[in-house]
Amino acid sequence: MGTRKGKGLTRRQLLRHTAAGVAGAALSGIGGPWAWRALAQGAQTLTVALYADAISLDPFDSNDNLSLAVEREIFDGLLGFTPDMKIRPELATSWEASKDARSFTFHLRQGVKFHDGTPFNAAAVKMNFDRARDPNHKLKKFSLYEPIESIDVVNDATVRFMLHSPFGAMLYNFAHPSSRIISPAALAKGEQYIARNPVGTGPFKFVSWTPGQQIELARNPDFWQSGRRQADRLVIRPVVEDASRVAMLLGGDAQFVYPVPGVQVDAVSKASGVTVQKRWSIYAFYVAMHCQHEPFRNVKVRQALNYAVDKDALDKVVLRGFGRPLDAPMAPGVAGYSQVQAGGWPYDVAKAKSLLAEGGFPKGFETTLWMGNQTETMRLGETIQQMLGKVGVTVRLQPMEAATLTAVRYKPIAENQSQMNLAGWSPSTGDADWALRPLFDGDSWPPTLFNLSFYKNAQVDELLKDGLSTAAPAERDKDYAEASRLIWADAPVIYLYNSQILAGVRTGTTGAYAMPDGTVDLRDAGLTGK
Amino acid sequence: MLRFLGRRLWQIVPILFGVSLGAFAFLHAIPGDPARLLAGPDATLAEVQAVQARLGLDRPLPVQYGYFVRNAVVGDFGRSYRSGDPVSRVLAEHAGPTLELSVISTALAVVAGMTLGTLQAVRRNTLPDYCSTVLSVAGISTPSFFLGLVLIYVFSVNLHWLPTGGMTQLQSVVLPGITLASASAAVIARFTRSSLLEVLGEDFVRTARAKGVTERRVLVRHTLRNALIPVVTLVGLEFGFLLGGAIVVETVFSWPGLGWLLVQSIDFRDYPVLTAEILLFSVEFLAINLIVDVLYAALDPRVVYR
Repeated sequence: MGTRKGKGLTRRQLLRHTAAGVAGAALSGIGGPWAWRALAQGAQTLTVALYADAISLDPFDSNDNLSLAVEREIFDGLLGFTPDMKIRPELATSWEASKDARSFTFHLRQGVKFHDGTPFNAAAVKMNFDRARDPNHKLKKFSLYEPIESIDVVNDATVRFMLHSPFGAMLYNFAHPSSRIISPAALAKGEQYIARNPVGTGPFKFVSWTPGQQIELARNPDFWQSGRRQADRLVIRPVVEDASRVAMLLGGDAQFVYPVPGVQVDAVSKASGVTVQKRWSIYAFYVAMHCQHEPFRNVKVRQALNYAVDKDALDKVVLRGFGRPLDAPMAPGVAGYSQVQAGGWPYDVAKAKSLLAEGGFPKGFETTLWMGNQTETMRLGETIQQMLGKVGVTVRLQPMEAATLTAVRYKPIAENQSQMNLAGWSPSTGDADWALRPLFDGDSWPPTLFNLSFYKNAQVDELLKDGLSTAAPAERDKDYAEASRLIWADAPVIYLYNSQILAGVRTGTTGAYAMPDGTVDLRDAGLTGK
Repeated sequence: MLRFLGRRLWQIVPILFGVSLGAFAFLHAIPGDPARLLAGPDATLAEVQAVQARLGLDRPLPVQYGYFVRNAVVGDFGRSYRSGDPVSRVLAEHAGPTLELSVISTALAVVAGMTLGTLQAVRRNTLPDYCSTVLSVAGISTPSFFLGLVLIYVFSVNLHWLPTGGMTQLQSVVLPGITLASASAAVIARFTRSSLLEVLGEDFVRTARAKGVTERRVLVRHTLRNALIPVVTLVGLEFGFLLGGAIVVETVFSWPGLGWLLVQSIDFRDYPVLTAEILLFSVEFLAINLIVDVLYAALDPRVVYR
């Protein structure tokens, strides 16, 4: 008897067990998604589809809009941006800047805890920014914190930053989406760890990241700002193909998608249960002209080309009405913007022709326009080509794949073959300094920054420097208004347009925004249950 | 047979070395600076240089290649420029989805293609033949992104039967599987048809029929088996291509496979991931060719390897 039991399973039993096992596995396989759906319905899940995957979830080492967009939900900064890019308090409740823009003092929110239970305090702030400004860490955004000379923990609830030299835009650097506060306990675990395991104080906690598939976040029940109604679960999925992203929205697989391409807006607007969210971006689009080379050395030629392009027609034909002509060297949503010419640079073919003649090119000339190879960019280039053709300027279009374009654009002047460059710029700090300095400062020529026009005007350089010497907004505004006027008149670029940000939202979704800087804000994202 | 296998396996080593050198040289020849791309559009020169140093891109190219070979020999392909994760882990994360999609769509393509092809051959020059010929020509000539989007709009957006994309549920594989399978199925059908027709005209088929073998047995035992050799070659090749990641289909369906990874890595000039992916594809093709050669012997007793 004992031996028989010891033998264990008979053949028949084994078969039965195997069959049951297989059936069970199959059921759990099939049941998995259903079970998951049931769970998801009990706990509200909001699914968001964006155009790419995040690269890192270490905010100080992120410089792509997607990573920054995900980090915004997990972390808080001392300061942050409202959906309209105005500075707002987050972990700092109030702050003072010295008049010389060298000392910045922040009073911190009390009783806040990181997602791992570590308390938030002045020491945590110091630890974060000491790491960020240390060049040895080789973090992608370290130049934002280079101006910092020292950080003092005044007491548990007060921290003071001293700068090497005046930097009037520093508050915007603190509000920049990279300037988030990471849990000191997580920081202690090293760079590799925090890039994949973000721990902050924000409205959502990090759950998981499956590269190429999804990032999952869960509502932080202990979030310091109470009385909000975020979804229990936030799923962010990378969907590269525009048409697929729109299909997800229309099919109900996603409640918020960004971006919605202009050509799809009609289809989305007509569908029931979805709306298109529009917001003016802080992007400025332009054609840079190489000011150090012929034929663009003469300001009259550059002005002529500005007269030759019909911005309203561009808006209608290419942007389907989701744009407006630039009326200054930066978009109206940038802090420190002031209008230079109402309605933008006028369209006047006769004037363009006479200026070309005065500039020494009565018969026009031939030139090359470098640009990206996306469908909309190509159409934009073709339209500009036609317009310039009418004043005798023959434009060869040279579309390039993004990485190649970047490589040739950033060559130093001696090797740089560029003539005209179709480009767009959005200042990630939301401030006039970062809107003008990278594009128009004499020290910003490639490969240093993005002055693709190789433009240099000593007066402009001086004003840009002066704008950083104080933190008083009124004085800074004056500098940037004057600089804008000078840059406008010098016309180192053809001023094209400022575009709208377009996102798709399903009815019943609240608190999800596409931001003017091309990131998204899901900090308040929730579902009303309708 | 064993000696044959041994010899073929040995040949893989110099081939892979050549591929790695070619891939490295080619990737570095195309313009693009990974540090600049990774640092972001508004990075300062100092930031770009910091990223460059972190990635080891400040070293001369031959030195970089030397390091690569030295580490690759022991199975270390370095870290992805983009994510900082070990390349082997990145490839493993994306190989699973691609393998799943390839196996399912190849199975679909083989079943559908051979059924269709056999039907065409047996009923040649009749209405069913013409209809399925039209179907397979349509299958070959419909671009996969178009078919994929049509399927999404019909079955996901309008009927809500299947998810629009991603790899979130078991059913997620259905639409990309069908999309990928359609072109392969069409090619397999054409091959099966012509190969079957050729064999059906052979003397031994006539002999089999003459001695009273049933038509069904003639087809399955005598004809199909002999007609299979070119089809097996084709299926092997198609499977190889699919294993390389179906770039278009994976993009349309947000399927996180190797094709998706390839596109993303090219955007960032992620040399370590790209080089490893190219090597992986080479290994896959070499393996599939070997398996196909072995299958010949199994299908045709006249084929003997020494």
